[in-house]
Amino acid sequence: MTAPALEVRGLSVPFGDAPGLRDIGFTLDPGERLVLLGASGAGKTTLLRAIAGLAPLAAGRLTVGGQDVTARPAESRDAVYLHQTPLLFPHLSIFENVAFPLRIRGYQDSEIRASVAELLESVRLDGLAGRRPHTLSGGQKHRAALARAMAARPAVLLLDEPLAALDPSLRDEVRATLLSLQAHYRPALVIVTHDLEDAAVLGDRIGILLGGTLAQLDQPDRLFQRPASLAVARFLGLPNLVAGSVAAGQFQSALGLIPVEAESPSGPATAAFGTDALRPEPCGSLQGIVRSVQYGPRGATLRVDVAGIELEVVTGAGAIPHPGDELSLGLERDRVTILPGIGDV
Amino acid sequence: MTEGSRSRPAVLAALALSALAPLALLLLASVGRDWFFPAPWPPAMTLESWGDAFRGGGRMAAALGTSLVLAVGTGLAGAAVGWPIGRALADLSGWARHLGASAAFLPVAAPPVALATGLHLSALTAGVAGTTGGVFLSHLVPATGYAALYFLGVFTLFDRRVEDEARTLGAGPRTVLWRVTMPMMRRQLGEAFLLGFLVSWAQVATTLVIGGGRVRTLPLEVFAYLQAGQDRYAATGALLLVIPALLMLGAVRFAVARAEATPL
Repeated sequence: MTAPALEVRGLSVPFGDAPGLRDIGFTLDPGERLVLLGASGAGKTTLLRAIAGLAPLAAGRLTVGGQDVTARPAESRDAVYLHQTPLLFPHLSIFENVAFPLRIRGYQDSEIRASVAELLESVRLDGLAGRRPHTLSGGQKHRAALARAMAARPAVLLLDEPLAALDPSLRDEVRATLLSLQAHYRPALVIVTHDLEDAAVLGDRIGILLGGTLAQLDQPDRLFQRPASLAVARFLGLPNLVAGSVAAGQFQSALGLIPVEAESPSGPATAAFGTDALRPEPCGSLQGIVRSVQYGPRGATLRVDVAGIELEVVTGAGAIPHPGDELSLGLERDRVTILPGIGDV
Repeated sequence: MTEGSRSRPAVLAALALSALAPLALLLLASVGRDWFFPAPWPPAMTLESWGDAFRGGGRMAAALGTSLVLAVGTGLAGAAVGWPIGRALADLSGWARHLGASAAFLPVAAPPVALATGLHLSALTAGVAGTTGGVFLSHLVPATGYAALYFLGVFTLFDRRVEDEARTLGAGPRTVLWRVTMPMMRRQLGEAFLLGFLVSWAQVATTLVIGGGRVRTLPLEVFAYLQAGQDRYAATGALLLVIPALLMLGAVRFAVARAEATPL
């Protein structure tokens, strides 16, 4: 049985005087990609730095490739940390930047030349090996930094908002390079981002950091369809949060009755669902009036008033209704998550 | 052509004249024999003082050698000691940082004679008064102050995340220092060395007080020649004070530019 690439258990990291991160735990298999999402100040970067050995832990245990690295310094953890902006060494050529991890490990020159050439080719920088970092474009610098990180052959690659500072065309380029390098060298990736789209594309699993804890860790489809809490649903920006209450195994609200799992506690609750759970239907169970229509690349986003509750619906097919039109909607109840507590309505 | 660009050649010429005219006058004074006011030109020329400057065993040559050894040593040691102090100060914040920076600034701000007097007591206690080592240490005090303040500014702006990333790439603290931070700061290290070199090169009060007349550096010789009315020797010594400093400045600039242009 292969040891997990990264195992984080009961990790607590202080933020100065604040409590910081508490009791973080997850396991990552070799080659797996985990995306960490969270609001600014949620502790995403701190968590990466703690894993890398660049921030002190208050408690917890870290293993990389089955080895306990909790007490090891950053240079002995086999976990490379890449900042948002590529921090290439300005005094070294691109070749020497990529060769750096190999040189400090005492590789022979011939091995270094071969390895660096392969890496530079894989990031399409083979013609720029002799250049200094300041002469490269933003995308080229990112690719060079990725090649240098891969030269260390890390078990875990920690990426702090790797695409945040890039314009859309460069984002695609760097994302493709990252995925291609990862497919070839197979490090486990932990990627911090605040972009839901990046998270959905890059993550085999997505973790949501809220209030210093890992509020949910799940596959992207499950995360978006089944948020674990109202806070996660709010963070993910689920557009439809309908207040109601649970009693006798049913959620009751202006939307009608929705069966819930038997063990669901009674009391105030919120139905959370995305736009994909609602669709216009001639004989739908919900009747509403269109309040606004916003056109976008994936169709029209409608705001529909249903019994005093404004719901968001996306429609791309058929005739687009106009504000003021009556609209009949069907709700896929199995796409609705009932969460304890009252959300925004 | 704007008014500014029209006047630029005149400004440059004035600057060049103001820099070169005193040097030319010193050069003339160093080779002029029996040149007294109001004669516009020396009646005869001699290279006697220059010969003394470069003759083995000559008074000026010995002072020049001592000055060079002290200045190079002070430059190197000042940069080496100022680096960690400046870095440590940059790590501080609030009052601790102000206090630390003020402490580094004290030997720079204190009048040289006051500094020399204070250091003299320490030198006597340590038994290094009147020795080259004692003079070196006395030069090192203000040089370290300058270097520490210089590196405080450098490390305040330095992006330490570069070092963090190098650590996670597998480099230990020593490797990071030697293969990342110091090479990245070649220019700053060169400038800190130059700062220490120039501080030592121009020291008079501390050399006089700590050296007790037994350690003869070039600035002391120039003073002695001036007091004795030996203007030709004083002018030669003054030029010798200027030339190595300029050469060192040029050498450091050249070395840094070359290092930055050459891939490692």
